[in-house]
Amino acid sequence: MDVMSAGAAAPAARSTIPFEFRATGAEYFRIWIVNLLLTILTLGIYSAWAKVRRLRYLYGSTSLAGSAFEYHGQPLQILKGRLIAVTALAIYLVATNLWPLTALLLLPVLVFAMPWVIVKSRRFHLRMSSWRGIRFGFHGTYGGALGAYIGWAIIAVLTLYILMPLWIYQRVRYLLSGSSFGTERFAFSASIGRYFAFYFIALGLGLATIVGLVVSTMGMAAAAGSGGEAASLAVTITAMVALIAVVILAPLAIGAYWERSFTNAAYDGLALGPHRLACRIRTGRLLWLYVTNVLGVLLTLGLFYPWALIRRLRYQLECMHVEAEGSLENFAAAAAPPADATGEAVGEFFDVDFGL
Amino acid sequence: MIAGRFFDGRTSAAQPAWLALGADRMVRLEGIAEPRYVPLASVRISDRIADIPRRVEFDDGATFETADNDAVDAALDALGAGGFGRRIVHWERRWAIAAAALAGVAIASWLFVQHGLPRLAAAAAQKVPPSLDAAIGSEGLVIMDRTLLAPSKLPAARQDELRSRLAAMSAPLADGHAYRLELRRGRGLGPNAFALPSGIIVLTDELVELAQHEDEIAAVLAHEIGHVRHRHALRMLLQDAGVAALAFAVLGDIGTASSLAVALPVVLVQAKHSRDMEREADAFARQWLREQGLAGSHFDAMMCRLAAGDDAVAYLSTHPPLAERADCARVR
Repeated sequence: MDVMSAGAAAPAARSTIPFEFRATGAEYFRIWIVNLLLTILTLGIYSAWAKVRRLRYLYGSTSLAGSAFEYHGQPLQILKGRLIAVTALAIYLVATNLWPLTALLLLPVLVFAMPWVIVKSRRFHLRMSSWRGIRFGFHGTYGGALGAYIGWAIIAVLTLYILMPLWIYQRVRYLLSGSSFGTERFAFSASIGRYFAFYFIALGLGLATIVGLVVSTMGMAAAAGSGGEAASLAVTITAMVALIAVVILAPLAIGAYWERSFTNAAYDGLALGPHRLACRIRTGRLLWLYVTNVLGVLLTLGLFYPWALIRRLRYQLECMHVEAEGSLENFAAAAAPPADATGEAVGEFFDVDFGL
Repeated sequence: MIAGRFFDGRTSAAQPAWLALGADRMVRLEGIAEPRYVPLASVRISDRIADIPRRVEFDDGATFETADNDAVDAALDALGAGGFGRRIVHWERRWAIAAAALAGVAIASWLFVQHGLPRLAAAAAQKVPPSLDAAIGSEGLVIMDRTLLAPSKLPAARQDELRSRLAAMSAPLADGHAYRLELRRGRGLGPNAFALPSGIIVLTDELVELAQHEDEIAAVLAHEIGHVRHRHALRMLLQDAGVAALAFAVLGDIGTASSLAVALPVVLVQAKHSRDMEREADAFARQWLREQGLAGSHFDAMMCRLAAGDDAVAYLSTHPPLAERADCARVR
């Protein structure tokens, strides 16, 4: 067998394809602030255009195998959806304020409307995203969302939150296995055990922090009560500083552990046809980003936020790559499904943060 | 010729291609198996944002993607087909304009919170039905009773005396508010008085005991009536909601992490608004005293006694600096 035909006969050549991210905090800041001023000058109407520009910048700055992602949201459609959503929200607020009982009556309506909003919002988001001219899509049903978001929530509460990880797992599975790129569906295969593991580790860390703080505070109080001399004052002050550091750092660290575990569990191993996504965020690096971002935002009265966001996105994309089996050129576009543009644009307003 | 890649819209395969925009407003795409030659009006060229790839979308869903933004801009400019998008991208590239925009956002937010919001809140307060007022008022009193106040220890006769004084003061006003006096022991609040929406006025025992003249208490009641008449409590509530909405509009789009940074200016602005409201209530009290032929010095005397007392700290934390409002030197 000669070498050339052997190469050609191996269609499933394995390769690692990284994501590239070219956005900078400075560019994102300027885009945000210029469009924010335009939004204010137009009394909010321009906000739909501003959002499209910001998202197009972020999508367009992310590329895979030499091609950037693209956001296709149409400002007018988004504006229309927002107007409908804001009107509904205003009616709800006024009604519940004037007749508090309506809140009680509307509660079941809201519970059943939430899955609808989730489906529409998710569908809008994915349908408006593309890579190499092929659109993403979402096929999750209303019933699926009702089960994943409401049904499993009830089960989690009834089991005193012991089955909470299952609820989280079901939500992620619903969102990801319902997603598609062209005609190809994403396959979500993370183990349930992974969710139980990080849920209970985070819970344990949280409880340990609280117990540790209570015990050390009581110990310090006792020490201060018995000693009362200059030497013990120095010890007390040191202990206080350490305590404050723990009070601030521990939640950030647990938050970093949670986000790293949740994101990795969602994306690591997510398959699209023969290709697999890898996602290996590390808690230490994420915690470092958290601490520096919080400091930056506080010290600049919030102006650092665009940089913080870009740093966070860049780190996540650095940790992700595609383990491709063969070429990424063979995805096919799906036939455009019947559009419910207005409904989806309404969902866009509520742009629920799925943590994905 | 602009170099880029072509996607046929059916598969994710990339093909190198070249695009040209002719003076005849025709788009020519070459380098692919089936070259295209279509009118400019039939394609959609995406707006430029920073340097993200530019897309030319054909009406059958095929796209041409290029990183050569400058070449696309030059070609469009030559045809005079730039549009508003060309200007925005220009602004987004310049630090000077970003700085000006930042200043503009800050000034606009400040003007809105300083001038627009109080007016909006005052206008909205006029439209709020009294039933809502009453609900907020009694709900507020329940919460305060639970947390800050204790039952009054004043003799019942004294309480009735004070209630009839308020009734006598408020009846001639006939302003539609149902004034009601509530007496409470102030505990941590010390000598204090405040007005809730719906016309509930709360006086603490400590304040009643501090007063050395009945007209001093009347002056305080007049001040609180001023708050009720101007619907200050409700306006404050509406302004809080307005500031929250503004903060969401400005920063909500990019995230909630900066809420801490928003909180500080909001607190400062609210303090200023509450000072303005105190002045409004003071003005009403002084005018009322004048109209009743009572000495304005009763008001000053009471204010200064509040400022001098042991509980001055408690009173000051809920009211603006008294020195601005009453000439204490003159009273002594």
